[in-house]
Amino acid sequence: MTVKKTLLLCAAALAFPLSVQAQDVLTLYTSQPNKDAQMTVDAFEAANPDIKVEWVRDGTTKLMTKLRAELSSGVVKPDVLLIADSVTMESMVSDGYLYSYMSPNRDQYEDSLYSEDGYYYGTKLITTGIVRHKKAPQHPTDWSDFVKPEYKNQVAMPSPLYSGAALIHLATLTDDESLGWNYYEQLHANQVMAQGGNGGVLKAVASGTKPYGVIVDFLAIREAAKGSPIEFIFPKTGVSMVTEPVAIMKEAKNKAAAKRFVDFLLSKKGQGLVLEQGYLPARSDIGVPEGFPKRTDIRLMPFDAAKTLRDNEANKARFSKIFEG
Amino acid sequence: MTPSLIKRRFMDSTSMDNQLRWLSIGLFVLIATLSVLPSLRLLVEALSHTTFSASSPMAEVLRSERTWIALRNSFYTSGLGTLIAVILGCGFGFVVTLTNIRGRGIWVFCFMLPMMIPPQVTALSWLQLFGPASPILNTLGIEPALGSPQPMYSAEGIALLLGIQSAPLVFLALRTQLISLPQDLLEAAQLSRASQFRIWVDIILPLCRSAIIAGAALAFVSSLGNFGIPAMLGIPAGYIVLPTLIYQQMAGFGNDMLSQVAGLSMIIALLVLAGMLLQQWLQQRSCYSLLGHTAQSLSFRLKQWRLPLEILLALVLCFILVAPLFALIVSSLVPALGMPLNADTITFTAFYEMIGRQGVTSRAFENSAFLAFFSALVLMLLSLPLGYLLMRLPMRTRAVIASLIEVPYAIPGIVLAIAFILLFAKPLPFIEVSLYGTLGIIFLAYLSCFLSVCLKPVLSAMSQLDPALEEAAQLAGARPIQRLIDIILPLTAPAFFAGGLLVFLISINELTVSALLWSAGNETLGVLIFNLDESGDSVLASAIAVLVVLLVAGLMSLLSLFAPRLPKGVIPWHG
Repeated sequence: MTVKKTLLLCAAALAFPLSVQAQDVLTLYTSQPNKDAQMTVDAFEAANPDIKVEWVRDGTTKLMTKLRAELSSGVVKPDVLLIADSVTMESMVSDGYLYSYMSPNRDQYEDSLYSEDGYYYGTKLITTGIVRHKKAPQHPTDWSDFVKPEYKNQVAMPSPLYSGAALIHLATLTDDESLGWNYYEQLHANQVMAQGGNGGVLKAVASGTKPYGVIVDFLAIREAAKGSPIEFIFPKTGVSMVTEPVAIMKEAKNKAAAKRFVDFLLSKKGQGLVLEQGYLPARSDIGVPEGFPKRTDIRLMPFDAAKTLRDNEANKARFSKIFEG
Repeated sequence: MTPSLIKRRFMDSTSMDNQLRWLSIGLFVLIATLSVLPSLRLLVEALSHTTFSASSPMAEVLRSERTWIALRNSFYTSGLGTLIAVILGCGFGFVVTLTNIRGRGIWVFCFMLPMMIPPQVTALSWLQLFGPASPILNTLGIEPALGSPQPMYSAEGIALLLGIQSAPLVFLALRTQLISLPQDLLEAAQLSRASQFRIWVDIILPLCRSAIIAGAALAFVSSLGNFGIPAMLGIPAGYIVLPTLIYQQMAGFGNDMLSQVAGLSMIIALLVLAGMLLQQWLQQRSCYSLLGHTAQSLSFRLKQWRLPLEILLALVLCFILVAPLFALIVSSLVPALGMPLNADTITFTAFYEMIGRQGVTSRAFENSAFLAFFSALVLMLLSLPLGYLLMRLPMRTRAVIASLIEVPYAIPGIVLAIAFILLFAKPLPFIEVSLYGTLGIIFLAYLSCFLSVCLKPVLSAMSQLDPALEEAAQLAGARPIQRLIDIILPLTAPAFFAGGLLVFLISINELTVSALLWSAGNETLGVLIFNLDESGDSVLASAIAVLVVLLVAGLMSLLSLFAPRLPKGVIPWHG
């Protein structure tokens, strides 16, 4: 037996008691809203009583800042990430932080919903569409409506400089042949207001500050169900989407539990949970939540995560040149 | 005096110096850990990828046009905001402290409360108040049409809210000075037939200048680092300031992100250092000493002006406190955002949900109360010896140290939090205990961030103390620590409590520092409100914000009960 092997064995022996203990704890970083995160964790723990999940929730931007700061001081806290968009995941892949895992459940998914090498898997579809105040005079049906004169100074949208989902929305729309960058220039000419995030747009539209907005589906549909005077519209050209992917960290301390977590989210049961929370599940055989049109009626606009990551800086610079002068 | 006696006195003084020396060493180590270490860590991060080439992150930050636009905008909004804060804070301070206005306590009490409402909530409630869904305007039938333009989305709108938010900082700093203005000075002036105008220009203003400058500096620095207000009002108008630019950089994902963010923070730190030197220079030029409290402090009789002045104050308060608070309460009682409040729609579900069903609420209240109380206490205890030692240093050294202490308060909380993660993510050397992921790291960050808030009023009060008092005690053989407790403390007590109170009020719903440092089980109130708000549950967020205001108002009233036992002027809204 070589010295190296002996050392490895010793290390393994030392690590063993720790790993037994670690088997029980899985650390999750997520950007799901509090309530949903709690639901997900509860359901997973009920199905896997031997694993306890510790989770941290924050907006994707702040969560990634926290994670980057941790990584840069050499500490890996989370085992699994469950965050808003695949572009962020793509940047983690390119920096070599993610672990490639081929989940057996991937057969049930469209290819576009997970990374080819198994670095991350989309868990739901959060689409970006149009919202209007019920008292508003116009009935927009497509993106192109917002550049018409009757919408001048009446539209709010999340700013791609602050919101990851909005940046993906920008990338999707500017890649579209009929819209492109010209569309964004027209939006600015029509005095469309770029708010911080989706929450800000919801407030602006619900309070009537701006009667129309660009927003993620579930937020508007959920508030409308509670009685808020707004309605959500799926535009004709199609909606952009983020997929809330799940991924395992390369340096995860507890890969076995992490794999079970990924499999759980992709299973029929995990996807049923997504439906219950009011989102479009990534699997198409589960159905749609209340308030959504039929799955076949929702047109998804094409989107390439790796290309978007490459274009990110240029897109942001171009946007801020148009909107911030 | 015989030579032997002189020698004994000399030896005595060396042993006294010994006590002082240990005190100094201890305190400077503390400052180094709390203030210099985080700033230094950021500097290292800012320079880490620097290769003296044009593509290094720092060079990119400096080359970018947006950095300079944001810098100019930050300067404008914070400057204008400070001006508004000084006008509001001084106006209130003079009227409430120096005149025979009725119900002083209530005025002060109400003036302190706007600090307690999170700035983004104030911004939102103003937008709602004057927007198409405004409950008041709708009742009156004069609501603006859907989508009409909002004047608040502008640089001046940002400055106005920054000013209102930081006015209590100026007010408290000034007030501690005003209550020690002696009536006899005024009487002497009146006997020599000085006009009202001359009394103000020659007596009151010169004696208050130092306190006003201290308050203004605090207001400026806190406006400079504020993220909530420019985020709410500036982003929609396409108006960037440094903290929002930093937030944009963070959304950029890349590896250089930390260095760029740290680089931008260094620019803010430089700005603050420059501002602090200016403050020191101004204060140096207005050095007057007072002999502590007088039996009767200055008081003007307002006569026929009393009622109009009271009405004016009430109007100002309506504008800065009643209206936002009202909007906040309304938005916590509706079932969903944007619905009108009436007998059919009113519901307490949000309160029920947050108090009864979510364990996180009570946990966040406990955590925040714990953090705020102990930060205030520890910082109060620290500022006494620290202020004392700083006053004994030569002017230049003092200016440098005071500015170093100021830096953590001025850089945006989110960046300070990054510095703390970089410092403490790994277990501490030797003891192998990790602070990261516990309340401990938030506590340390609060101490670092708010040290200057507590120290400012104290330094300002100490600089006005007549050294004759302490010299007398020294001649009588009192040792430094004894002199601190028996002479300096009683004379500057109101400033301490003002400082401690400020720390408590700021940290009870602090958001930006804890936003990155919290972990499951360690939520703070600010984080809870922000997270709810961000994920679209703004009705729940309003409910928590209402509870926070109630809690603080309750605590403040409770403090009044102790007021008679404390030195004069310690509880600002009492007598």
